[in-house]
Amino acid sequence: MTALAIEGIGVVGGFGCGLDALRQALDSGFSPIGALKTGPGEEEGSRPAFLAESSQLEAFLPKRAFRRIDHFARLALLGSHLALQDAGRLEENRQRLGVVIATGYGAARTTFSFLDSVLDDGDTCASPTNFSNSVHNAAAAHVSILLGATGPSLTVSQFEMSVFSALLTARQWLLEKRVDAVLFGGVDECGPVLGYCHERFFGEECKEMTPLLFDRQSAVVGEGAAFFLLTRGGEGAGRYGFLSDLGFGRLSAGGPKMPGNALLLIGADGHARCGAGYGALVPRGAEVAAYAPLYGSLPVGSAFDLAVAGLTLREGRVFAQPGPAPENVLWRAASPGALGDRPVCGLKIDGEGVFGSFTVQHGPS
Amino acid sequence: MNFRAPVAVTGLGCLCAAGNTLGECTETLFTGRRSPSPPGRFSTTHPVSYPVFEVPDAALSESAGEEAGLLRTSRLALAAAREAVADAGWSSADLGALRVGVCVGTTVGSAMNNEEFYRQYREGGRPEMTPIERFLLSNPAAAISRAYTLNGPCQTVVNACASGTDAIGLAASWIRAGLCDLAIAGGADELCRVTYNGFISLMIADTEPVRPFDSTRRGLNLGEGAAMLILESEALRRQKKGRARAFVLGYGSACDAYHLTAPSPEGTGLRRAIEEALETSGVAAAEIAFVNAHGTGTPDNDRVESRVLCDALPQVPFFSTKGYTGHTLGAAGAIESALTVACLERREIPASVGFSLPDPDLPGRPTEIAVAIRGRVALSESLAFGGNNAVIIFGSGDNS
Repeated sequence: MTALAIEGIGVVGGFGCGLDALRQALDSGFSPIGALKTGPGEEEGSRPAFLAESSQLEAFLPKRAFRRIDHFARLALLGSHLALQDAGRLEENRQRLGVVIATGYGAARTTFSFLDSVLDDGDTCASPTNFSNSVHNAAAAHVSILLGATGPSLTVSQFEMSVFSALLTARQWLLEKRVDAVLFGGVDECGPVLGYCHERFFGEECKEMTPLLFDRQSAVVGEGAAFFLLTRGGEGAGRYGFLSDLGFGRLSAGGPKMPGNALLLIGADGHARCGAGYGALVPRGAEVAAYAPLYGSLPVGSAFDLAVAGLTLREGRVFAQPGPAPENVLWRAASPGALGDRPVCGLKIDGEGVFGSFTVQHGPS
Repeated sequence: MNFRAPVAVTGLGCLCAAGNTLGECTETLFTGRRSPSPPGRFSTTHPVSYPVFEVPDAALSESAGEEAGLLRTSRLALAAAREAVADAGWSSADLGALRVGVCVGTTVGSAMNNEEFYRQYREGGRPEMTPIERFLLSNPAAAISRAYTLNGPCQTVVNACASGTDAIGLAASWIRAGLCDLAIAGGADELCRVTYNGFISLMIADTEPVRPFDSTRRGLNLGEGAAMLILESEALRRQKKGRARAFVLGYGSACDAYHLTAPSPEGTGLRRAIEEALETSGVAAAEIAFVNAHGTGTPDNDRVESRVLCDALPQVPFFSTKGYTGHTLGAAGAIESALTVACLERREIPASVGFSLPDPDLPGRPTEIAVAIRGRVALSESLAFGGNNAVIIFGSGDNS
């Protein structure tokens, strides 16, 4: 495939806001864990969660511009602005800028707020504001409106495969020259209902994620946004490398193909159901990392992996695997050191036998 | 890689209130019959009833096994996919040996909005997780891919009411790029209380049967359904010696970047989407034989659409099928694409049911009777929340 240049990255998550915050988390191997309510009332229980906050959006937009915009869309807006700022393209004309957003669950909190309006006051008092903001593409719409981006806009919801599926469209738009650049991002949010679901599905809470201990359930939910400015490249392009390959399909039909010397970022995020699958896929001798302990378990976690891949290439160094890793003779957990000319690959499997993969490398070919 | 090559449509499937198959739906269009009725599967406390277009449960009677436990949206999607796959002459086993992509548009099908679960949760009742498990199994594109054990790109497009059109345009792009040999592309959406209450809250639902482009129009009627198109690469079609019922010639999409729920008054995004679709299809505006309009029956949508159509495609006849199907949201663009192909094959377009009084504020008026067509190219368009506009252009197939 023709490689896409990664020109800017904007991230917000449990680790904080911006690439510096992500780098700091990668260097320290630590990200603060907050508390997510799991019940409907104030007195109800809570679970650990990597929570993101969007107050820095005020650095880009007047407060009144987003006062009616929900948390989910604010995360997307913040990620978008950070990516454009990082690329030095905040002021550019955006007539040929496409917007592609991947999300696992969309603005779930706003959906439940809409249901609150119905359950509290009856069908005739349903909230039009909450209804229109609960539609999955509302965040992409707010991004397009507030940035004046009039190219095509797309939102994809494919649970854990959302990022890979949406990247496919971003790539096609650029290859077909429908747009000059794509603002691509993954965004998901936490809320009390998600906390409740997590508690019911996975039981006892876990305070330390150990994703490389594949058979252990250690997922801690996360939320946030990771955005990228992608282009077709050109002179001086690819500040964070080039997205050179995208893979997707069914493991039973052959599985992913990745360069043997790659640093492998696996999307293992503390779910024992998928852990064994990763164990079977890691190539012998590979250097492996799973950075979910820095941003948590969320459907679009692969977007954060892509951000780490870009940062790794830009800085030319490997960040250590956060948390414990098993001793084994088949592969080794990432440790600080030079990346060299190796590519960085991302791999995600979904528990249904489906995989997605990406490769980011130094040059366009 | 040729980004502008026509992509063959070799199979079609469609079910909605107008019929359980594409053939039935097409016949309904030309009889002028329609059957909006109060919601039958749920109740509300609104003082008046807003008519909807429901699919009878009997249409989903083939759902069995795992499929029977899926959300209705995915069951609708699978029913349409079965018809389309059979129409294209493929068996399930055939598909397993090919690179097959799935691209499906939806709105409700990706929303975690089970009201009863949430009501129990709010009351502290620790609801059972069955509705959530069902939701997690029911991503429409994934459900189709899993049902046929397909290996290829898989995408659920959630671009509100443009989703179905976008899904077909994007899948055609996959075929041209060689990402898959065959794609199952379309849209699916079910009726539910959440969207029913939501559209009423926005005051864009009508208490009478919908009247697209009519001067008395007051809003939309919701509907449900699904349509799937089978798109094939030329290499595969040559190998199979299969016929094309139509070709996807071009696709365009653009965002108004204007308002979350209202279209740009000038229709800026729609104009650009039409321009892009014409440009990528390599056909002139004058070659378009007809337009299957979005035509929701809301005052804003129909005003913008009528003005843009009269400017961009003057003298081209247009109609709305929503008077027969209701507004099926994420499925609408796909259902209208399937009906567009059916009209190309039939060389005739239907009356725009619900229209009788021209609106002096609108420069164009839709078809009032069935009209024979001469051209071999047609356009279908969708406008959506978020300012999304999507346009797709079909050319006649081998036998038309």
